[in-house]
Amino acid sequence: MTDPTAPLLPVTDDVDTGGFFLAAARGELAIRICSECRADLHLPRECCPHCGAFSREWRPVSGTGTLYSWTVVHHQVHPAFPVPYTVVLVEVDDTDGVRLVSRIAGCPDLEVGQPMEVWFEQVGDVTLPQWRPTATQEESA
Amino acid sequence: MADASWVPGACSIVGIGTTDFSKASGRSPLTLAAQASLAALADAGIDRRDVDGIVRCDMDLVAPPALADSLGVRDLTYWGEAGPGGSGPAAMVGQAVAAIRAGLASTVVVFRSLNGRSGNRYGLVGERGAVGGDGSYDEFFLPFGMQTPGQFFAVVARRYAHEHGLSIDELSHGLGSIALAARAHANSNPDAQFFDRAMTRDDYLASRMLSDPLRLFDFCLETDGAAAVVVTTTERARDLAGSAVPILSVAQGTGHGVQPGQMFPALLRPSTTSWPSAAAAPTLFGRAGVSASDIDVAQIYDCFTITALIQLEDYGFAPRGTAAGLTDADLSVGGVLPLNTSGGHLSEGYIHGMNHVVEGVRQIRGTSTNQVAGAELSLVTSAPPPGASALILGADR
Repeated sequence: MTDPTAPLLPVTDDVDTGGFFLAAARGELAIRICSECRADLHLPRECCPHCGAFSREWRPVSGTGTLYSWTVVHHQVHPAFPVPYTVVLVEVDDTDGVRLVSRIAGCPDLEVGQPMEVWFEQVGDVTLPQWRPTATQEESA
Repeated sequence: MADASWVPGACSIVGIGTTDFSKASGRSPLTLAAQASLAALADAGIDRRDVDGIVRCDMDLVAPPALADSLGVRDLTYWGEAGPGGSGPAAMVGQAVAAIRAGLASTVVVFRSLNGRSGNRYGLVGERGAVGGDGSYDEFFLPFGMQTPGQFFAVVARRYAHEHGLSIDELSHGLGSIALAARAHANSNPDAQFFDRAMTRDDYLASRMLSDPLRLFDFCLETDGAAAVVVTTTERARDLAGSAVPILSVAQGTGHGVQPGQMFPALLRPSTTSWPSAAAAPTLFGRAGVSASDIDVAQIYDCFTITALIQLEDYGFAPRGTAAGLTDADLSVGGVLPLNTSGGHLSEGYIHGMNHVVEGVRQIRGTSTNQVAGAELSLVTSAPPPGASALILGADR
């Protein structure tokens, strides 16, 4: 029987989305793009809603972004996610407005528009791209 | 195009029915569906054996032929479904109209039935191991902590405040107004789950924060129950004993920038604070030949307070970014837009928008427990974000 407190992991071999997690396992953040019109296609799929082409290309993107919105979760839902925790929605820099969701433990001080950076969390066999506020120079010194 | 053949009022809702709304029905969804459908047929004065069409929600567990069997239907010639989920009910009524107008059926039961509290509940992720794949896109949300509709709508709510320069306190004022109006209406509706639970603004503000900035009383009531309506032609309706309410308009919409998957992907759309209801609204009003300012009473889908707040703007009842300035008096009977007059999902029960259709009918009949005097145009919406639908009911003149 599955342990209900086990971390909730994503499938990593889906034909449309698996490349995202494969890239993460290499320490890269990658976004699906259309090989024809070069538009970013997130959520990932082969058919491009902009030009109608089908392709399977991925492109590495920078690991920086800006905070689009967030919520502090106080009500426990899944046993593997102790509250309080914060769910952030981050717009990835240098993309066509691609947004990714990430979890931060606790309730940090946040502001819409603030810079964020990716880091890679290893959970069992899976690597999850997670986001946190960009470290200031004082913090990283 | 399609609007050229839409005839306002060609079909009517001739019967309405509900079960009791509870936390534990002790009955199956099939039993609840049959109970609500039989009540609606009795209200219409139509023999249950004469039903020939059934429309359900795509998430309902009850198969139309199973309900037909329970009702003793002699010959079911049409069944269909609409969704997704709470976006369905107005569209389900629209599908009944389409089937009748196409000659596929003449008497259509439209129902929603669920044990939403004692049965399968939203947000519980279960013990499935790896999540996502097969077009669900859950793999981008659930493992990253975004797991429930409440968390989704909290992110939307904060973004809404940011985009419109509102403080969280100002946002909470508007959300509280919606919760307070719904609660006051429930307090006058003996069938509402919160009939006996008065609420002040202080009570609202003191309620537990579940997913900041959304509090307990920003969430709807997970409910066991069912609601149903019966649709037929308005011409035939005039020969029936029941009180017929013409369907002046129905519309569905998704709009540009829709994402694949279900609810969570809507966080990735170009705008998270204007929803498919914005695309449905012009079609809806155009088909009826009316505008938002003509509407006398509205049942706006309110799985969360913010869901209703954004729709008030999408349907044109408040300029963009201003709905949070509405007071509960504005939204109560006697105010500028009486809202969710049965108590809605927040305080009556959460039958995924179908109880809103039933209350929309009552307002035109003049039988609501919070009746808007002389109501002639009644709006009902079914919710975004995956898609939206809405209908306008009017007096038979």
